[in-house]
Amino acid sequence: MVTVSTLAALAVDGLAFGASLALLGVGITLVYGLGEVLNLAIGAFAVIAAITAALLVDGGMSLPIAILAGLAFVGVFGLLVDRTLLSLVYRSEGEERILLGIFTTLGLTVLLEGIMVNYVSSRYSLPLNISPIDVGATVVTGTSAVSIVVTAVIIAVLFLFLNRTFLGKATRTIFQDERGARLVGIDPRKLRTLVFVLSAVVAGLAGILAAARSNVSVANSFQFTTFALIVSIVGGIRSLVGAVVAGLVLGLINTYANFFVGSYFATIILFGAAIVFLLVRPEVMSS
Amino acid sequence: MNTDRLPGARSLALVGILFVIAPLPVLGSGYYIGVLSRILLFALFALALNIVFGHNDQLFLFMGGLGGVGAYTTALVADSFGVTPWIGLPVAALLCGVIAMSVSWVSARRRFTVILISILTLNLQLVFSEAFIGARDLTGGSTGFPYELFSLSGVADAVGVPTAVVLYYLILAFLLAGMVLYLWLIKSSRYGIAFEAIREDELAAESIGIDVVRYKAIAGFIAGVLIAIAGTLLAREASYITPSIFTFLAVDVIALIVLIVGGIRRTYGPIVGAIIVEVIEAALGTYAANWRTAIFGGLLIILFLYFRSGVIVAAEDLLEDWDISLGGGNGGTPTEADAES
Repeated sequence: MVTVSTLAALAVDGLAFGASLALLGVGITLVYGLGEVLNLAIGAFAVIAAITAALLVDGGMSLPIAILAGLAFVGVFGLLVDRTLLSLVYRSEGEERILLGIFTTLGLTVLLEGIMVNYVSSRYSLPLNISPIDVGATVVTGTSAVSIVVTAVIIAVLFLFLNRTFLGKATRTIFQDERGARLVGIDPRKLRTLVFVLSAVVAGLAGILAAARSNVSVANSFQFTTFALIVSIVGGIRSLVGAVVAGLVLGLINTYANFFVGSYFATIILFGAAIVFLLVRPEVMSS
Repeated sequence: MNTDRLPGARSLALVGILFVIAPLPVLGSGYYIGVLSRILLFALFALALNIVFGHNDQLFLFMGGLGGVGAYTTALVADSFGVTPWIGLPVAALLCGVIAMSVSWVSARRRFTVILISILTLNLQLVFSEAFIGARDLTGGSTGFPYELFSLSGVADAVGVPTAVVLYYLILAFLLAGMVLYLWLIKSSRYGIAFEAIREDELAAESIGIDVVRYKAIAGFIAGVLIAIAGTLLAREASYITPSIFTFLAVDVIALIVLIVGGIRRTYGPIVGAIIVEVIEAALGTYAANWRTAIFGGLLIILFLYFRSGVIVAAEDLLEDWDISLGGGNGGTPTEADAES
């Protein structure tokens, strides 16, 4: 018999996993909403941040600084990708651009994976060393609690940025009407760069949290990408709120399914959910 | 063959002969036979992709998964019913054909764009991949099981050649059959005309009475059958079946590169592309095995950024160069073979 406290502990772990999913979903949604590029390399960004931070910790750096450095590194890398690869993708329009975006970012993820396995081929983790927290009858792992809190803060900041600042409002204008935005003097290309870097950092945070909970290897990058894709399908590729909700719900479902029916079946449930959503509401993916 | 009924039959016969004699100079080398077999296998995958994506705008990104379903089904049917895999293979092909047809049918009914189909099939690919690992009772999990079906070694002993050579000719037979099917389907049947009309303008095609959903479903079925055969033979070539043979990166990415390199909607695009890609792969395997994945990733980016629209012209230029450098003819590059009838 499964006790209530086990179920509650599972819920916290599920939310923690869901937090990473939500961040990945937000990362992919931001870029697609703004530039119609479905960033299939987002998982590689998550892995790059996590591995960079882990290597820096191994090198003797303190954990918080290593994490910030990992995020900064993936941000700069995102900037580089945006200025080179994506500039070429943005030259085309409409469906052509979406297809081109899919293939170039897919190529990028294969390229990055192929480069990374040659240098960083082991598994990396970032233990936060936080003792479990007692909440009534339930014991919650410290890492899960931190994951949830950090994600909540970051997502809140992101929403504040998009809703309250001029830059954020300008970004949302492009989400809704690119031509209109251009007419009032907003340069979509600059904002796309900003948002792409932002999405790389958000994805990097998802990777770092995953490394904190267990460990991360190069082979995870495509897995993270598929998670991001599922979240954006279920939540709606253009909806940030949808991505957050879908991430949390799928995280819970996955963790419970993991516990009750095993991990392979749990993963199949995730993909199955995405397929069902695609079939029932295909319009969420179209522009 | 009667050239009146099958346009391009003569060119195909020539290509066939080149591939028949291709292994003769290297009969003793298992390595080169392996490379040649992989050329044929990925030509077969790319041929399926050419039909369903090139001519039908349905980007199937679950070729690995579908090929795996085909390979496992062939073995499991043969094993659990105690029949020869020659019965298992048609069952598997039919199953994969029906799966692919359902995907095409649903997608066409719901008017999915090429992007939606690609995302849908990518998700299916990942489901299949997980299922192969997870369904340990059936698939042996990630450790897999030996895959030495079709009692080829018996034939090989009787003829006095290595088993790999017999397998090569078996794959060649299937590829040539696939090519005949392609020539008939695209070049001379009403399906080819309907596919072309649908690709040009779906609404216009519908308005002149073409049943778009039906034609797309048929294209999906044919691709599914070809993919099942290619997957089964791919496992047989490895002589051991594991889920890692059928991953997205191992099959779909390579088949996509093969098709784009060779030239989408070109009759011999899949074969030409497969020769180029497998020669690159073999060269990398010898000199830079660790960088194989990275180089294919870079190749994918460059191909789609610079050669996607102009790939036919670019490939032809490229081919002329390759023709000279291949020289010896153990690949049989059919440069001018396709008369584009």
